[in-house]
Amino acid sequence: MVTYIVRRLLYSIPVLFAASVLIFFSVTAVGDPLAQLRQNPLFSQQTMHNIEKRNHLNDPITTQYAYWVKDALTNKFGSPLLQPGTKIWDDLKRVIPHTLQLVLLAEILALLVGVSIGVYSAIRQYSIFDYTATTFSFLGFAMPVFWLALMLQILFTNIFIKWHVRIFYTSGLSSQDAGTGIHFWIDRLQHLAIPAMTLMLLSIAQYGRFMRASMLEVINSDYVRTARAKGLPERTVTLKHALRNALIPVVTISALNFGALIGGAVITESIFQLDGMGPYFLNALLNQDAYVVMAWLMVTATAVVIFNLIADVLYGYIDPRIRYD
Amino acid sequence: MHRSHFRLVLGVLVAVTSLIVAGAAGGASKKSSAGSMTFGAEQEPPCLNGFTSGCNNTWTSWTAGIALANPLIVMPDFSTKPFMGNVKVLSKKPFTILVTLKKNAKWSDGKQVSADDLIFTWKTIVDPKWDIASRSGWDSVGRAVKVNAKAVKFVFKTPYAPYRTLLATTSILPQHALVGADFNTIWDNNYNNKAGQTMASGPYKLQSYTKGQSIVMVRNSSFFGKRPTLDKITFLFRTNTDTEIQAIRGGEVDAIYPQPQLQLAQLRGQSGLRVQTNAGTQIEHIDINTGAGNSTPLLGQAWFRQAIAYSLDRQGMVKQLFATLNPGLVIDNNLSYFKAQKGSYVPHFAKYQINSKAKRIAKVAAIMKAHNCTKGGDGIYSCGGEKASVRLGTTSGNKLRELAVEIMQAQAKDAGIEFRADSQPSRLFFPRIATNKYDLALFAWVGTGDPAGQVDIYGCADAKSSDNPQGYGGSNWKGYCNPKVTNALKASDAALDPRTRIKLVNAADAQMAKDLPTIPLYQKPTYFVFKTSLKGLVDNPTLQGPTWNTQNWKAG
Repeated sequence: MVTYIVRRLLYSIPVLFAASVLIFFSVTAVGDPLAQLRQNPLFSQQTMHNIEKRNHLNDPITTQYAYWVKDALTNKFGSPLLQPGTKIWDDLKRVIPHTLQLVLLAEILALLVGVSIGVYSAIRQYSIFDYTATTFSFLGFAMPVFWLALMLQILFTNIFIKWHVRIFYTSGLSSQDAGTGIHFWIDRLQHLAIPAMTLMLLSIAQYGRFMRASMLEVINSDYVRTARAKGLPERTVTLKHALRNALIPVVTISALNFGALIGGAVITESIFQLDGMGPYFLNALLNQDAYVVMAWLMVTATAVVIFNLIADVLYGYIDPRIRYD
Repeated sequence: MHRSHFRLVLGVLVAVTSLIVAGAAGGASKKSSAGSMTFGAEQEPPCLNGFTSGCNNTWTSWTAGIALANPLIVMPDFSTKPFMGNVKVLSKKPFTILVTLKKNAKWSDGKQVSADDLIFTWKTIVDPKWDIASRSGWDSVGRAVKVNAKAVKFVFKTPYAPYRTLLATTSILPQHALVGADFNTIWDNNYNNKAGQTMASGPYKLQSYTKGQSIVMVRNSSFFGKRPTLDKITFLFRTNTDTEIQAIRGGEVDAIYPQPQLQLAQLRGQSGLRVQTNAGTQIEHIDINTGAGNSTPLLGQAWFRQAIAYSLDRQGMVKQLFATLNPGLVIDNNLSYFKAQKGSYVPHFAKYQINSKAKRIAKVAAIMKAHNCTKGGDGIYSCGGEKASVRLGTTSGNKLRELAVEIMQAQAKDAGIEFRADSQPSRLFFPRIATNKYDLALFAWVGTGDPAGQVDIYGCADAKSSDNPQGYGGSNWKGYCNPKVTNALKASDAALDPRTRIKLVNAADAQMAKDLPTIPLYQKPTYFVFKTSLKGLVDNPTLQGPTWNTQNWKAG
């Protein structure tokens, strides 16, 4: 198992390298990152010259890439283009935990609910519950995130206006004077609840559908029939024999989701003003700040690689027939 | 119900109830108390040192920047008034001003705001080592002479007419806190002196800056002016317009200052909220590329540009754009002064506004006929084989501008001129403008109320020199050159008598109204939305912004 993990990690190095080359060249090739500053007739030409020199903007792209590699390895990704006093790594350390809090809350709850709905729908195929779950799943798939987010914001704002009860906040990560300990975490939960709901509703639809399909395949298989024939209780047959095997596709999907969401749920985090990876990336991209975009990319790509690896390892745990060579 | 299910349901109910109880209590405590308020800031300052290029942002000066006072202040009517100091002209040759600081002006660490600080500020701004966003004005100062502990004489290399605006837009830096420091990196996240104390000369001082979330300002008891009433002002970053609107509706913030967006209309009828609106300093306009890079030589002809201007019902367009937000907004008819500047603003471009559609079409037809243009089967004129068809571009994604383009396309088409849509995201749009690859471009210039620098935008391209390192006309991407305009604008920048200056600027403006390198549209309105329980909040549409008088703010 250890050999397998080490080998997979080694394989990921050229993947990350290729991704970094591709992204660096495309971000840099988009245009002049100082274009907006150049429009300002009052902007100091001396400062423009300082920025160009410090960031090697007049060098060939390959040279700029080499400087990035050097900064990434020796200076923890360096500083943003226009803020030499800011460290990119410090910013990443700030935003990653915020994104993790949101993603973990939303994805764990979505997995629990989605898997439960999927299993129950499969067991009670063509029941009213199944039809209702199917209908809501399609609604979930079809609903644009920004619209759902706005509707939830309006709903909870109107609840506050009507009853003066603040169940959840509609934006931000914390209140002023949120306190410490349990008070801080209750406040944080009140802020994360609506964004988590937004992400959750979409993921529930996805996990529910996958789980239902996978479960339907498994509950009609020979080994499940054998388990029933042996006289095992239905609960044991479903949870121990069928569910475990049916989980494999959902594990794949959720691992990919987790990995991708570490890069930030860009729309959700931006709408709810959560200081996470999504808005951090978006701002960097709009400012054409290649160094920040690259740092974000490296973190996200690493997360995707790690979560894929976790998924592969989990397959072996869920289905003992799978072996690693 | 099964026991384990019962436990689960009970657990969920307890959790939800605790959240509601905690929320209700939290909600009550968040109401603006007698001593504090929260302000939804539409942008987050990238960092706090507003002098440097990386942190230079209007929201930097409107939030944390209120800690650092300027010698003068720009009032809502664009006039300048003494604030932490005053200024007077000592001589015209060489141009010399005396800047005096208030006797009771001191830093929050107890030290006096001094003449040394004034000189240090100037030296810091002109030091080429530092990434100062703009050195304009201060780089015209030849030397500074300390007169006494609170006064400095600045001797300019050349006369500098907008000296009052310069002093109203420059905060004074504390020498004792910053001397010897790397100005490019210091004060990115705080305004601390070497002992770690926060520095302020304005009404509020910085208590905390949580990146991505908030800036908290608390009362500065050393402030030279009237004692600020509020104990604390918290700026929460709410950069999404919809989120900002829900935040103020739901009482999560007490005030917002958003860009004009159509969604704001819903706040107008909301009880408990007040909306103040003014014509702001962003001048939406259409630049016309009269030279190389345009798609038709017709744009090089003044009569054709005039035909374009006559084809547009600018007031009708503004009415459509701001029907619910600002039904009373009127168009801008001067490129150099704002409407609020009474005595300076002369509506030179008003002649192009014809309200009647039939008369507009007839006016364009008369111009076209006089230049032997004929209408084609598609209703568009052709002049000497050149079709009256031009590209009109703007920054895509900006709903107001996109709507404006659609309206103007329809208006021009009615008059026989075709506008081909040519919009792009701003990151691609602006580099194209700066390299003259456009016909008509709709965007905004941000003004200060002082016409200094107009020669960069409308002047003939000039050779670079030590006095003029960028070359005049450095931002003139219109291929436009009229020596009359250039000379008048150059002379105005050096004219120290205000009346002479207004005359010169308006002479240039009148000439540009004939030449039409630019068609002014409207001053983008400002919106200051706040709870009616708050008192003393007054919109300042100048660059001074909504937080110009925080010392007068009171929570009801």
